[in-house]
Amino acid sequence: MKFVYLALILSIIFNLTGCSSKAVEKPKETVISEEKNGNVADDELGGFADEMEVKEIYDPFSGYNRAMTSFNDGAYEYVLKPVANGYKAVLHVEVRESVRNFFNNLYFPMRFTNNLLQGKFCNAYEETSRFVVNTTVGVLGLFDPAKSYFELEAHEEDFGQTLGFYGAKSGPHIVLPLLGPSNLRDVVSLYPDALLSPIDYTERSYWTLTDTSAEYLGAKSLEKINYISLNMDRYEKMRKDAVDLYPYLRDVYEQYRDKQIEE
Amino acid sequence: MLFVATLFAQNLAANEQVELKEHFLNKINEVILIVEDKKLSKNDRNGNIVKSLTPMFDFELMAKLSLGNAWKELTKENKDRFIKLYVERMKQSYSAKIDAYKDEKVEVKKIEQPQPNRIVFVTDLVSKEEKLEIVYKFHKPKEKISAKDSWLVYDVEILGVSILKTDKAQFKEFLLTKSITELMDVLAKQS
Repeated sequence: MKFVYLALILSIIFNLTGCSSKAVEKPKETVISEEKNGNVADDELGGFADEMEVKEIYDPFSGYNRAMTSFNDGAYEYVLKPVANGYKAVLHVEVRESVRNFFNNLYFPMRFTNNLLQGKFCNAYEETSRFVVNTTVGVLGLFDPAKSYFELEAHEEDFGQTLGFYGAKSGPHIVLPLLGPSNLRDVVSLYPDALLSPIDYTERSYWTLTDTSAEYLGAKSLEKINYISLNMDRYEKMRKDAVDLYPYLRDVYEQYRDKQIEE
Repeated sequence: MLFVATLFAQNLAANEQVELKEHFLNKINEVILIVEDKKLSKNDRNGNIVKSLTPMFDFELMAKLSLGNAWKELTKENKDRFIKLYVERMKQSYSAKIDAYKDEKVEVKKIEQPQPNRIVFVTDLVSKEEKLEIVYKFHKPKEKISAKDSWLVYDVEILGVSILKTDKAQFKEFLLTKSITELMDVLAKQS
């Protein structure tokens, strides 16, 4: 009952602040910036120089990172992929999508809080609506009617993005065992995000999915295998473009995170 | 007079953008038709995708930009060989990625023209599951290249990850310890 009140109050507040209707950004069809002074670079490539500036990534642990990347790559190839393949053969894609939806729904407190922390109130409101709809109509989050019927979009935000939003630099790049590329900022953020995750097994005043560390590991493994089974060739396709796997994945990760923070 | 001239220039630019957008969407439709044509073998499909897209992409420029300063130091033969290998790898990688798409729609959500000879399309690749933001960057060479469109893509950003920047960074790091010949050998293996 408490929850219904909360939802009601939130909806009133957000209606007042004027973000109940979807804030659709009108496409800007014609943006013309000022013409730069006419001296075009004599060299064909010179004109692109400023755009092609590649950001140097701070990487004092490159030796360890490189080793961990090979380990992760091996683990993917010889353990995760075969297991995910078996899992995929047994469970129909709809079931696997429901498993993914279920986990995604549980991460609502993390997304909600981090949206709030970044002052993205409309997104926090949309996330709340998604959670309410998907937990009830969507049977504990197994389905995603919020998106398919109400066009409510998810807004992925984690604490790493919140820190980035307030100007925290990414710090040294760190490759985590099995979890893959990360950096100091994002590693530190795993802790506050875990506190907001109902999957965790530590003592809480509210319901959590797991009670022991073994159950927790089980749930996390299921989530990971399920994810791989749904995105089978994504990593492999990406890997094919790498001349050298470690720096390639590192750059892709850092560029991707920068973009997420910018949004 | 100046005012009229500015207005005219703006109009011209707007027209250019509309024309390019139309051309781009037509191209995408053409490619979607190929992707959906399950009568073709996978190889034929990829071949057709490449054939359809090649006039719109400036793979040669991408090859040069991806090497950065190292490009100028290459011998003529190495330059030619590098371009050939890079273009081939790009075609393979791009057509394989596109071939994986199913029931997806491309929406142009924003057009920018940071310079008179640059146009940027911010697009969404919309599928039933998710939206992928893909940015296409076009440039207009001073002289039209034969068998190519007048506006050419020189970089693609997928979820903020620029193909060109990523290649540039990895080539640069590779060349710190290894030679250009070794790099070309790796590229040759990839395609």
